[in-house]
Amino acid sequence: MSLYQFLIAVRQQDGQQLMAETGETTSHLMGMFYRTLRIIDNGIKPVYIFDGHPPHLKSGELAKRYVRREEANKAMEDAKETGDTAELDKFSRRTVRVTKEQNDEAKKLLRLMGIPYVDAPCEAEAQCAALAKAGKVYAAASEDMDTLCFAAPILLRHLTFSEQRKLPITEVKLTETLEGLDMPMEQFIDLCILLGCDYCEPVKGIGPATAVKLLREHKDLDGLVKYIKDHPESRYKIPENWPYQDARELFLNPEIVDPATLDLRWEEPDVEGLVDYLVKEKGFSEDRVRNGASRLMKNLKTAQQGRLDGFFKVLPKEKTNTGDKRKQADKAADKTKKVKISKKK
Amino acid sequence: MLEGKLEQASLFKKVVEAVRELVQDCNFDCTENGLALQAMDTSHVSLVSLLLTADGFSEYRCDRNLALGINLVSLTKILRCGNNEDILTLEAGDSADSLVVRFENTQQDRMSEYALKLMDIDQEHLGIPETEYAASITMPSTEFQRICRDMQSISESITIDCTKGGVKFTCEGDIGNGSVTLKPNSSADKPELCTKIDLSEPVSLTLSTKYLLNFCKATGLSQQVTLKLADENPILVEYPLSAGHLRFYLAPKLDE
Repeated sequence: MSLYQFLIAVRQQDGQQLMAETGETTSHLMGMFYRTLRIIDNGIKPVYIFDGHPPHLKSGELAKRYVRREEANKAMEDAKETGDTAELDKFSRRTVRVTKEQNDEAKKLLRLMGIPYVDAPCEAEAQCAALAKAGKVYAAASEDMDTLCFAAPILLRHLTFSEQRKLPITEVKLTETLEGLDMPMEQFIDLCILLGCDYCEPVKGIGPATAVKLLREHKDLDGLVKYIKDHPESRYKIPENWPYQDARELFLNPEIVDPATLDLRWEEPDVEGLVDYLVKEKGFSEDRVRNGASRLMKNLKTAQQGRLDGFFKVLPKEKTNTGDKRKQADKAADKTKKVKISKKK
Repeated sequence: MLEGKLEQASLFKKVVEAVRELVQDCNFDCTENGLALQAMDTSHVSLVSLLLTADGFSEYRCDRNLALGINLVSLTKILRCGNNEDILTLEAGDSADSLVVRFENTQQDRMSEYALKLMDIDQEHLGIPETEYAASITMPSTEFQRICRDMQSISESITIDCTKGGVKFTCEGDIGNGSVTLKPNSSADKPELCTKIDLSEPVSLTLSTKYLLNFCKATGLSQQVTLKLADENPILVEYPLSAGHLRFYLAPKLDE
């Protein structure tokens, strides 16, 4: 995910990707290096998860993405001919693909930086969620709402958005989301499938509000699908070949590496290795790389601030007389947010 | 209905001042036993727990449990309207949407009354388990404040090592390092200057200087402060009040 962002966003003014003298793209390394430093500077210890093979259910979505990329490719050629640089820039961003080499380069960079990473057997989000669930990490950071369906207890969005955009980081707690929606986990997964995930198309005409209503009426997707089939006159049409059961299975039992077998270790950065790799091979500025490495060292040494949550347990709520007081506005806002987030992308 | 009268506004002012650094909005829980407050800072690293028992008030009445949701910045603004020596009365009805704060000067010829709008705060209550602390250090609160102040310019964290012989505060930073060692001492005529150490086993904790300094805002409330430590557990920093206490908990920094 991130690698795509870097290849798309980290560019020079003329819209060209950053390149080393040899002409290799280095946008991804640049982005990875500085973003990781920023994360570490803020006292966070990251673990990167790399996507494995896509589940076969995703082939439909991937095919669509492929078509879009092809279209962009064509449009880019057109733009090249007409010399429209703005268009060219726009479409060249859409044709980006992360290559295997770039993936491996990113991993090499992380190794040199002493940052652990995990190769997920399948979907990275599923692995993230599993690590968070096992308590190996505090939260899963992803823009992808699927992470919640994989039962990550805490999802962070916008964790590494540019500071200039002033977007606050959103922390979504799964338990509170379920409480707010008043739904068990299975129903929540069904809800997300209904609204469209990477594996199933959304059902036309069903937005978040209707989806919640329908699922409450029919309990789960099996009930709903049966109802729609039995009532052909209803407004909703289930797409043909809609493998919602498989999608559900994928969310409930994803293909992951058992978190218990993973040993996540943050190690000292290999400063000389970094210099060799980034400066000599990839043409980074030596000063900046050395400076970055010393920041890594410093933050590795400082002990991490613990949190109280592990020591003190939340007591069940007692009803107190709160009377007719001014409501905090964000409470209401919270609810709508929670519904919205289940709608993907 | 809550009605509480304090002979000196300064106590309440100082308490709010000390808590304000850590929390913005919190519930004051009023019961027949007194006024209590428990809140964590937003990053869930520290917790403040305040208890003002009913006997600390010259008059106190609370017939039904009330949770008063208060924005502490706003409360501070109102408390600034009174003098330290004023008699302070807090009043809230059962379904009140505001807290009435009344000041009366010592000559009893000036009365002022302010109302603070309350908020509905959805707050979690934490159960604090009974911890067997390995060490308990009681020392002058000003001394603790001085150590924290001195060390803040050197390091982001302070390590407290406690042994039979004494307690040692150390800091290590980019510019160098430093340490302060205090030995137990007692003086009969000035008990507030004593340093006392109760120890069952040596203990060492590393803590954030910034948070400790925030706790030190309570220095004016009590001449003595008690630090309670247990390995890998949150430190308890307690300022005893004449009737009640102000306690701070801080999660330690963890070494990998």
